[in-house]
Amino acid sequence: MNDHPIPESDLHAYIDGELPPDRAADIARLLQEQPEIAERVAAYMAQRDALRAGLASIAAEPMPPQLDLQAMIAERLAERRVRWRAAAAVLLAFLLGGAGGWVVHGRLSGPPSDLTLLAQDAIANHVVYAADRRRPTELGAGQREDLARWVSNRLKHTVAPPDMGPTGFHYMGGRLAATAQGPAGLFMYQDESGQRLSVFVLPMPGAANTAEHMVHVEGNEGCAWIDKGVGYTVVAPVPAAELHNLAERVRQQFDSQT
Amino acid sequence: MMQGDGDPTLEQALSGAKPPPPDRDPPGQAHAGAGVLARIEASIPALRRYAIALLRNRDEADDLVHDCLARALDKLHTRREEADVRAWLFAIMHNLFISQTRRRRSRPTPEALDDSHENAAGLRPTQEDALFWRDLQRGLAMLPEEQRSVILLVSVEDLSYAEAAQVLGVPIGTVMSRLARGREKLREHTGQTGRLPLRRVK
Repeated sequence: MNDHPIPESDLHAYIDGELPPDRAADIARLLQEQPEIAERVAAYMAQRDALRAGLASIAAEPMPPQLDLQAMIAERLAERRVRWRAAAAVLLAFLLGGAGGWVVHGRLSGPPSDLTLLAQDAIANHVVYAADRRRPTELGAGQREDLARWVSNRLKHTVAPPDMGPTGFHYMGGRLAATAQGPAGLFMYQDESGQRLSVFVLPMPGAANTAEHMVHVEGNEGCAWIDKGVGYTVVAPVPAAELHNLAERVRQQFDSQT
Repeated sequence: MMQGDGDPTLEQALSGAKPPPPDRDPPGQAHAGAGVLARIEASIPALRRYAIALLRNRDEADDLVHDCLARALDKLHTRREEADVRAWLFAIMHNLFISQTRRRRSRPTPEALDDSHENAAGLRPTQEDALFWRDLQRGLAMLPEEQRSVILLVSVEDLSYAEAAQVLGVPIGTVMSRLARGREKLREHTGQTGRLPLRRVK
């Protein structure tokens, strides 16, 4: 009885809970009769417990930013759109017989969507005003409330410049902007290095709500969404993941304003 | 030909439960729900722990996990159900690890696993445990990679033998024999003889 051999594989299956209950009970009984083997099993279990305990803290560490799955998804969506639009532009140029010229991105697959129109207006305004080193805004940071009142009146929608807080982008001021769909609000921000971020607000009555989307027009990246009949776009020359975070911050503030 | 400018799976991932945006065609294919993504996200800490224990270099490990997540997103459309997401991810990472190891002959000096959390509270209440943990780490580092990965997957990451076999692409019997050999070598290395917990004088 004492020499009843236990297959090595059963010992480990016992340790790892891989045995059916009756076989596990058999092993437990056999181990009681064979202290040397029992000691070895105890050693293996101690190894396992020490490994778990020793490595447990790694799983509790804060995740490095490169492992942010949501940011990775946002980045990939943006890249895919860029690739597709580039391919579509090439195809169109080819179909036009090499006519070349300017291709309005996003207008290649049927009628333009609300989101596409929004993004084009937002990015067009960003390109014009953010590039203006001397007068990017109509009303400066000191007239924040005047600007909010002015823009709210013209948009017939209450809106105030969001606070970008610790993101490094400081509020510079804003202006009323023109679009084919009517007046829009444009709020401008700048960081230490002089890079500019704009927040674009355009009333779009009847437009359906959308999630945040990375948009790309003529080399400029934005993050756009439509919520309760108002279109929003954040444009800044930063990586997609960062842009997505900035947009999220803006969205939260607009959510609490309405 | 080009069907659309987005990946429906990723689109849905980003927008969560919200309806698809109006500029997209309704997705013509079934796709992984938010559940699969939630499971992927929940598995990241364990993937990272396994990668760090395997590579013993945090930067390399983070790169490996990043590559693994990127590959998983590439292959997301092949996931219809949420079962086995963890084993699936470990399998992707293992394959990446193998191909990277083959490509690269020389490896940077591994760092000690516990350098960065030497003082973690409650981790090592006694000197004895500390010595045992140190020996264990050294022993683990000396094991052939195939035994080290089985021990980590089964003992630390709680994969079943069947899942570990799937991850490593070997039969279950191989998993068990590698486990037995690896554990025995660790026992010899850490001098686990006599009664436990270990009594050992340096």
